[in-house]
Amino acid sequence: MNGTRAATAATWMLGGLVGLCIAAMLGLLFFTLGSGLASLRPGTIERITLADGSSRLAEVVADDGHALLLRTSETRRLGEGYERVRRGDVVARSEPVDAFMIGLGDGRRVLGVGDDAALAAAVGSIGALARVVEVLRPNALGAFEGAGIFLRRLARFVATPPDASNLAGGVLPALVGTVTLVLLMSVLVMPFGVAAAVYLHERRGVGARIVRTAIDTLAGVPAIVYGVLGLGLFVHGIGAGIDRWFYADRLPVPTFGGGGLLWAALTLALLTLPVVVVSVEQGLARIPSSLRDGSLALGATREETLRRLLLPAARPAVLTGFVLAIARAAGSVAPLMLVGMVKLAPASPLDGAFPYLHPSRQFMHLGFAVYDAALASPDAIRGVPRAYACAMLLVCVVIVLNLSAILLRNRLRDRYRALES
Amino acid sequence: MSNSVTPAIDGGASVSREQAAGAAPALRTRALSLWYGARRALDAVDLDVPARRITALIGPSGCGKSSLLRCLNRLTDEIEGTRVEGEVRLGEADVYAPDAFVHELRRRVGIVFQRPNPFPLSIHDNVAYGLRLLGIRSRRELDERVEAALKAAALWDEVASRLDDGALGLSLGQQQRLVIARAIAVEPEVLMLDEPASALDPAATLRFEELLHELAGRYTLLLVTHNMQQAARVSDFTAFMHAGRLIEFGDTDALFTNPRERQTEDFITGRYG
Amino acid sequence: MRASARRRYWRGRVQRVLVAAGASFVLLGLFAIPVYLAAAVAASRAPVGVDWAHLGLLFAGSLRATACAIAVALPLGFATAMFSAHFCAPRLRAWLKPALEMLEAVPTVILGLVAATSFAPWLKSHAATLLALLVALPALLLAAGFAFGRPSRHDGWLPLSVLPLLCAIVAFGLWLSSRAQAPWIVPASPWNATLVGLALGVAALPLVFSVAEDALFLVPREQTQAAFALGATRWQALTTVVLPAAGAGLFAAALLGIARCFGETMIVLMASGNTAIGGFDPLIGLRSLGADIALGMPDAAPASAVWRDLLVATLALLASTVLLSLAAGFVRARLRRRLHAGAAA
Ligand SMILES: Nc1ncnc2c1ncn2[C@@H]1O[C@H](COP(=O)(O)OP(=O)(O)OP(=O)(O)O)[C@@H](O)[C@H]1O
Ligand SMILES: [Mg+2]
Repeated sequence: MNGTRAATAATWMLGGLVGLCIAAMLGLLFFTLGSGLASLRPGTIERITLADGSSRLAEVVADDGHALLLRTSETRRLGEGYERVRRGDVVARSEPVDAFMIGLGDGRRVLGVGDDAALAAAVGSIGALARVVEVLRPNALGAFEGAGIFLRRLARFVATPPDASNLAGGVLPALVGTVTLVLLMSVLVMPFGVAAAVYLHERRGVGARIVRTAIDTLAGVPAIVYGVLGLGLFVHGIGAGIDRWFYADRLPVPTFGGGGLLWAALTLALLTLPVVVVSVEQGLARIPSSLRDGSLALGATREETLRRLLLPAARPAVLTGFVLAIARAAGSVAPLMLVGMVKLAPASPLDGAFPYLHPSRQFMHLGFAVYDAALASPDAIRGVPRAYACAMLLVCVVIVLNLSAILLRNRLRDRYRALES
Repeated sequence: MSNSVTPAIDGGASVSREQAAGAAPALRTRALSLWYGARRALDAVDLDVPARRITALIGPSGCGKSSLLRCLNRLTDEIEGTRVEGEVRLGEADVYAPDAFVHELRRRVGIVFQRPNPFPLSIHDNVAYGLRLLGIRSRRELDERVEAALKAAALWDEVASRLDDGALGLSLGQQQRLVIARAIAVEPEVLMLDEPASALDPAATLRFEELLHELAGRYTLLLVTHNMQQAARVSDFTAFMHAGRLIEFGDTDALFTNPRERQTEDFITGRYG
Repeated sequence: MRASARRRYWRGRVQRVLVAAGASFVLLGLFAIPVYLAAAVAASRAPVGVDWAHLGLLFAGSLRATACAIAVALPLGFATAMFSAHFCAPRLRAWLKPALEMLEAVPTVILGLVAATSFAPWLKSHAATLLALLVALPALLLAAGFAFGRPSRHDGWLPLSVLPLLCAIVAFGLWLSSRAQAPWIVPASPWNATLVGLALGVAALPLVFSVAEDALFLVPREQTQAAFALGATRWQALTTVVLPAAGAGLFAAALLGIARCFGETMIVLMASGNTAIGGFDPLIGLRSLGADIALGMPDAAPASAVWRDLLVATLALLASTVLLSLAAGFVRARLRRRLHAGAAA
């Protein structure tokens, strides 16, 4: 009896720990997405009056119980508006309905109060000096207007390039860079991964066993090691060699001898190769050998059997490998820090000029934008929300890439369901 | 020659008639031996398969019937560690010639396995599979030949309205006939069937035997079966194998009524195997 | 006929050669890693010797981060795996597994971001709360199970049914800590090994879970059924049949988890402070091998001593993880063989 109770108690503990995992997972997801979305929401403008009689218009960006961190109007210079006031010094807080906020292209915000005429005058005088991107009265927004502004900011964030500080404006180049990189990586890894899997599938014996073990083992090698290989061998080795032979006229300015999209994609392709090979080979091994015999007996060569029967039947497994590769590639940031990912790329690797894809160019990446905005930016108060916004977008990219591949796989799997059972 | 009996040398009366009529054997093996690694599965088999007749291959389980079939179209190549000695001739062609195109030989010698193995494709594409390999692209020609093959396999009436459905949704008996249609679509000279009726119920088996008779006029059939009555009912000739050796070969009626070898008699009377 | 047969034969040959070429390219690429690193280090002509003291600090830093992370990932991963393989309601399991696989796909830079910018400030003032919760949570769950738990067929849904209790405990703990005047434990730095361990633990959790779950699930059904037939409870079947049979698999999961934590770069880079400090204190910062490479490599001139030292660090990282994976692979292969043989017999 007592033993049973102890067992039940232990089961409860196990269940509780699982619940903790689930809660932590959901918490993490909602926190990231929530923080990302919140960073795009227009905040209220308060009038803060202090004990010394002074008052200022400001957005309260943090409140730790002892002091308030304010962001006041930034009329001249970015970052000039931060102010820390002790809570005890605040004698009055109000939210004036006629407060307005003028957002500028470089990320500055100018605050003020007044009617539409005053607002127009302010916009006119500031607009002469800087680009105005947004004018709104945050305290007087209805729910729909608020949502509209939120969506407009989201669209601007996704669809415009950043400004020079990388703290304002959108992240379009990083988004394009991330997706281009992952797609280029897939184009490189899938044919080679499938070829290797096919080759291994037809082979038994010691050699194949060694290669299989090596591939399994390499799946566990840290991503940063691949980055070192990418930098040392691809960039400094092969890339520099290409420059010496074909682009000698441009030296010492590197063409392929510097980090770039191609080398990054190759590095990621190597990184994801084991996943693809293992998955495809497992898929091929699951196909009953009677199918292969049947095809050969009809007079197909081994290659025809593979191409017309086995590979199509193994398509769900190929796509599983594809999904896993994409997940791994989209999430790897560390190796890219070594092979061409930059804070601000001078030119996009994908543009309208022939040949449209420029594999030697440096590129921007959402993952690096997260890291850079969160830790490397001089202005953490704006950097951290921006990092969350980038993180939200990165999560969405990963989810979209994953989901589309999974949906594709499921559609194929339905066709082959009868075979797998 | 005690362990391999060839009709050309010391066969029964009807075999002599066959030979006398000038019908060259469709398939002929001479001293054919097969090893799986170090284990010998076939031991100097000499067998002549008469053209456009049904030849039944009987023998206890594990005696090497399936192995013999696999040797005849070189599917043994696909098994690791096999070794073949001796000669197999398909008409005039040497099957084991080093410069033979294996895939072309295999087209000429079709095989249907014990368990039906339809491909995970539509019914139509299953039958068209071998035709496409031969480079036939025209949709019309494909359709015509698929229809002809399905009719020959007595499956057309059941599937005519759902040719584009998955083949894995067919019943076992239908799958077996589909596999036969697939095999005869590429117009083989010899069709080997390895216990094709073992998965069918009695009624389906009877229908299947009728199908065999229909096919017999056009193809050389080599049928492995565990069912003595079936062998007696459908085949013109019967070969009895035991422990990798061909013990006796002859006219079916003669072999079943008056076996020359003691082992054959034991086997067909059920005292053995 | 024969002409077409010849054409198909040669087409097959060409395709075969293409596949073989692709495969050899892959092999070349994969073996390039150790070969390149070893060759580059060996060929280095840097005038100064390797800075072993610094390297030692980095290694120790990686070890400390790994130890903290493993303390999170192993209990949670094993508990989740045991529950999922042995107790879980099939419907819950059907989405628990994919959910954890999804967690695997979350880029680690995001875990690093949450840890470094949101969790670090909280941890700085609530280290004691965290410690207390870590101890109290399992203890209170055990106590609650002992007091209220009855074996029931709904046990498969326990993770969801105890969730309110879990939230209540956490909320109470947070409320208590908010009433404390001053924090009891103050970490020397907001970015420290504990913080790294938490984030890294979450990152390694899916891997530990899936390897351990695989091993547990591989134990033949007949064996557990036999235990039930003898009157064992689910828990007894787990401890007397499943765990002994699949123990090696859990060991392999631990090894792979350790390898994963040891090599993870982004989280450590963001949440550890990146100061090379030795010692075993979980409340001070650290600098790991991976972070050192990520920070130093882009600016290091090829063929310099710094570059060479970074290559040595990479080699150390590679060697450690390869050894761990090889060991895990060996253990798993043996387990698989044994369980399959057992199932066949
Ligand atoms: N792939 C293989 N590897 C090793 N030995 C094999 C293989 N296939 C068959 N054998 C062996 O060769 C012998 C002949 O097998 P085969 O399948 O030809 O017998 P069979 O007459 O078809 O039997 P059954 O009537 O049961 O189908 C058997 O002893 C079998 O164990
Ligand atoms: Mg057989």
